[in-house]
Amino acid sequence: MSSVLDVFRFRRKNTPLHRLDPRAKFAILVLFSAASLILNDLASLLLVLVAEVALLAVARSAGEWLRSLKGLSMLVAMILALNYLTLPSNRLFTALTLALRFICLTTAFSVFFLTTAADELATALEASGLPREYSIMFTMSLRFVPSLARDLQTISDALRCRGLELEKGGLRTRIRNYTYLLVPLIVYELRRSLMIAEALEARGFGALKRVEPYVELRLGRADYAAIATSCALLALTVALRFTSLYEAFVRLQLSIFGEL
Amino acid sequence: MALVELIDVHFRYAGSEEYALRGVSLEAEEGEFVLLVGPSGCGKSTLLRVLNGLIPHFYEGDFRGVARVAGLDVPKTPPHVLARHVGMVFQDPENQLFLSSVEREIAFGLENMGLPRSEIRRRVREVLELFGLEELKDRAPYELSGGQQQKVAIASVMALEPRVLAMDEPTANLDPISALEILSLVSRLTREKGVLAIVVEHRLELALRFATRMVVMDGGRIVASGDPRRVVLEASRLVGFPPVVVAHQLLRNRGLIGGAPPLTPEALSEEILGVIGWRR
Ligand SMILES: Nc1ncnc2c1ncn2[C@@H]1O[C@H](COP(=O)(O)OP(=O)(O)OP(=O)(O)O)[C@@H](O)[C@H]1O
Ligand SMILES: [Mg+2]
Repeated sequence: MSSVLDVFRFRRKNTPLHRLDPRAKFAILVLFSAASLILNDLASLLLVLVAEVALLAVARSAGEWLRSLKGLSMLVAMILALNYLTLPSNRLFTALTLALRFICLTTAFSVFFLTTAADELATALEASGLPREYSIMFTMSLRFVPSLARDLQTISDALRCRGLELEKGGLRTRIRNYTYLLVPLIVYELRRSLMIAEALEARGFGALKRVEPYVELRLGRADYAAIATSCALLALTVALRFTSLYEAFVRLQLSIFGEL
Repeated sequence: MALVELIDVHFRYAGSEEYALRGVSLEAEEGEFVLLVGPSGCGKSTLLRVLNGLIPHFYEGDFRGVARVAGLDVPKTPPHVLARHVGMVFQDPENQLFLSSVEREIAFGLENMGLPRSEIRRRVREVLELFGLEELKDRAPYELSGGQQQKVAIASVMALEPRVLAMDEPTANLDPISALEILSLVSRLTREKGVLAIVVEHRLELALRFATRMVVMDGGRIVASGDPRRVVLEASRLVGFPPVVVAHQLLRNRGLIGGAPPLTPEALSEEILGVIGWRR
């Protein structure tokens, strides 16, 4: 549970990517996720993945990404298997493409979240006009994901200690077992949210709709360069995608896969 | 006028039968270190919530009596205004630290007050220095040790320059050494800055030495209040004896030593050494 969520868990490091403005990183996220969605062949998606991994390497976060990918491997295998078994033609090529697209998409998001602190993002959102209440709500929801994962672990451990086997039994027993898990979890999180709300009140939160943020966001040269490059590459991808050249490129790959 | 003034305060949480506070009166001045103790459920946290206006503004229920803090009438003052006068630190650092760096954490309350950036910068710098946190300013609070986290929590409420610091079991998650460090930091704030600290703390052996006053609660009432040396004897039924007080009592019963109980093992040793005529 927690290992999968770790893909999106920010860690403070001093790398060019971490230093980039959240808005610039958002542009990169848009580029990568749009490219993963509109490109429809193995080779181009591989190229996207290579670019993403290169950025992760620059951010010294490839290790975290790789570890979390292990947690997602079941899901990838399922996408692969289901598509391979149900598709009418070009089964291997399409199944691989779809699985790779999934990996490209999650990697795009992990590039963003591994290098962007929730509160930096919130500051950027506030700068673009989001009211402070919402930006804080957003910060909190990301901030407390690890706590939630840990609470879940604590409760399921406690239940296991009392002999409840969560992963055993038929569908009905399992559903019942999960309600045993859910009820204390909800109580726990309600209590936690009450404590958080108290602490927020004690720090004077909620009086003003708009405040001057402590950290001044200013787009620097690197940020403009990243945004411009992302826009240009996105335009290029879209343009190439709808040419006959791209069709020919896909046909070439299909012919390599043949009857598989 | 006293900095904190409660007169015959009653409070019952909405949906509960019993009153959590039943006629609490308390006056406290700046520079005091008030140690608030009592059995579980006696209303200590509830009392602190009255000080910063969480009661009656955040928690609904029946409120009666007079509560004035820094000259403000609590039931008529919104919590974000009271936040400038009363800093509140809770037991669990995790639920009171929200941001990705110590520096931002300290700035958060100042942002909420709507201060201009230059003023926020100045105060953040000051607080980082006062609490010796300059080295940690870029670290994420969740990467720090428990003691450091609690220090950051105190720093971020003290940034608002409150005259009252209310703490609800601030050292419950800490080892004894970190706990002593935090408590002596608070004691320093009372002496150097004239802050009034009201601290709920179970571990008497750690906290007693810093207290200038001890207040004991039971069943929603204050049952003893005054000089810690006297109160610790009076209220032992409720709070138990710290070992140093027991040792002193034993020696006194045998006529070996006199006077009021010392509050630290060091003070007791000094006394014993005095009695046996040992000179440095
Ligand atoms: N949010 C709440 N809603 C309803 N009742 C509450 C609430 N918080 C506390 N109480 C009740 O009010 C009474 C006083 O509780 P309070 O938390 O102030 O005690 P405490 O002295 O802080 O105890 P502890 O040492 O366990 O923290 C208790 O009977 C408790 O059950
Ligand atoms: Mg309490």
